[in-house]
Amino acid sequence: MVLSSVPAEYYLLLSAAVFCTGLFGILTRENALMFLMSVELMLNAANINLVAFSFYWGTLTGQVFTLFTMALAAAEVAIGIGIILVLYRNFDDVDVTGPTTLRW
Amino acid sequence: MSRHWLLLAPAGAFLAAALALFVIDAVDRDTTNPTVLSAVATAGGVVAAVASAVLLLSNAVATPAELFGGQLVVDGMSLIFTFIFGSVTALVSLASLDYTRGLPFRAEYYLLVTLAATGMSLMASANSLAVVFVALELSSLPSYALVAYLKHNRGSVEAALKYFLVGALSSSILLYGISLVYAATGSLLFADVASAAGEAAATYPGVLGVGILLVLGGVAFKTASVPFHFWAPAAYEGAPAPVAAFLSSASKAAGFVVAFRVFVVAFPIDAVANPSTYAVDWVLAFTVLAVLTMTVGNFAAATQEEVKRMLAYSSIGHAGYVLIGLAALTGVGGVDAESTALGASMLHLLVYGFMNTGAFLFIALGEYWELGRTFEAYNGLAEDAPVACLAMTVFMFSLAGLPVGGGFLSKYFLVVGAVGAGVWWLGAVLAVNSALSLFYYSRVVKAMWIQPPAEDREIDGYPPALYAAIVTAALVTVLLLPGLAVFDGAAFDAAAGLL
Repeated sequence: MVLSSVPAEYYLLLSAAVFCTGLFGILTRENALMFLMSVELMLNAANINLVAFSFYWGTLTGQVFTLFTMALAAAEVAIGIGIILVLYRNFDDVDVTGPTTLRW
Repeated sequence: MSRHWLLLAPAGAFLAAALALFVIDAVDRDTTNPTVLSAVATAGGVVAAVASAVLLLSNAVATPAELFGGQLVVDGMSLIFTFIFGSVTALVSLASLDYTRGLPFRAEYYLLVTLAATGMSLMASANSLAVVFVALELSSLPSYALVAYLKHNRGSVEAALKYFLVGALSSSILLYGISLVYAATGSLLFADVASAAGEAAATYPGVLGVGILLVLGGVAFKTASVPFHFWAPAAYEGAPAPVAAFLSSASKAAGFVVAFRVFVVAFPIDAVANPSTYAVDWVLAFTVLAVLTMTVGNFAAATQEEVKRMLAYSSIGHAGYVLIGLAALTGVGGVDAESTALGASMLHLLVYGFMNTGAFLFIALGEYWELGRTFEAYNGLAEDAPVACLAMTVFMFSLAGLPVGGGFLSKYFLVVGAVGAGVWWLGAVLAVNSALSLFYYSRVVKAMWIQPPAEDREIDGYPPALYAAIVTAALVTVLLLPGLAVFDGAAFDAAAGLL
């Protein structure tokens, strides 16, 4: 198996890199759709961990949970797109820094 | 085994109500009577609350019952929280009958409320990190949509956007934390995580420690604890007031029940933070969170000029009080003091479920009458609506901790628990913050009863369902002062069972 020749730490590094890429996108992008994509990256970083360590521990728990999280990520995007749509209708833009009628 | 299925009756009641609403809406959506929709959702909440109370007080779960291969657990704590969710859902659904009058998509509104409540009751019973995540999403996703319910109102849409953005970010942080905990321990079930935690803390302290901290971050978002609270004032202010009541009472309690179970059961503090194997000291983290949340929440509330926003920050402050229950698990005072503190947190969430929901529903009444948002908008309202103002006075003083409602007793137990656990200064911070909170709560009372009305005000009828919900919440808040005796034994037992 190729998988078994790759040390588990490498998967942790890969997933941390993907997670940080997503986090960087969230902190720097102002477009709501880019924000959604960055969140997807962060969720997939967790999926990499779950699948890799499912193999490492020799259990199926992580793999099955990954199927759940992928379905939930899709549901989250569905809600997110809906909210971005009403955002566009009300503010004529999908810039997340635009709406400031409520103070923080 | 058949007994076990009955134990899920609270969650089942919410789910049945949601499915019934689905069918009613699908059969004939044009002529559906809104009263029927509201009644179905309210009935779901009442049945869930009654079933929880019966199961709790009949001692049906003297030993915790595990279901679905240990993925779900029904014990005293889960029943206390399903009681809270049931009561809040019933009050909010009842009040929404008047609030959503004339608005489109009412069936969907009640459907989302009951689905979110289903997710919350699963959070209360979650016994594995996988169920925690799925249930948390089931309660969060409908909440995002509910905040955006007034889709032509810019405030509502903006609130939903902020809530969704921060919520999506924190759920991905929570999931990444869960994946790191799985990487370190090899399991998602709380019991297995707990038994592997000691070895994992010795072998991979970094992976486990970061994982636990990220899970803590995800939970702190759901409970709106400082510094993860930024979404809360915007979301509560922009959301329709009944939805704000639902989120700030039920959704917050759901976050706390997950925090209680995950940290106390799955990450035993002795295993993850002792001198030889140190991964992360989450008790210290919760102590910092509690002090920050109490102080920031209350000071920010004191500077607000709008009542709804003041309530949003006060709701953050109350999250800080509840966090004392976790911060007091120092191991100094023994199981007695710790179960007092943790049980007091549950009791505070129980009382808070009524007094805070009632306060936000009073704001819903103000929005129904289109009074305006500021304190001055409520000037002299007691002349026009004495009953509602009396109820609001009860909510305000009970939130501040004066002995007119159950809020006094639950804060008293929190202080007793904190002192017993050797963190008396947390109790002192609570007392100082409560004194400060009396200042801004009494501003509302002063405006309603003492200030003269600024201009001629037109009160547009007295919405019966909204009034019924507010008066019920006020009555229960007052009755919980003597009546907390019914629940306190159950709460302390539930906490002791967890520890």
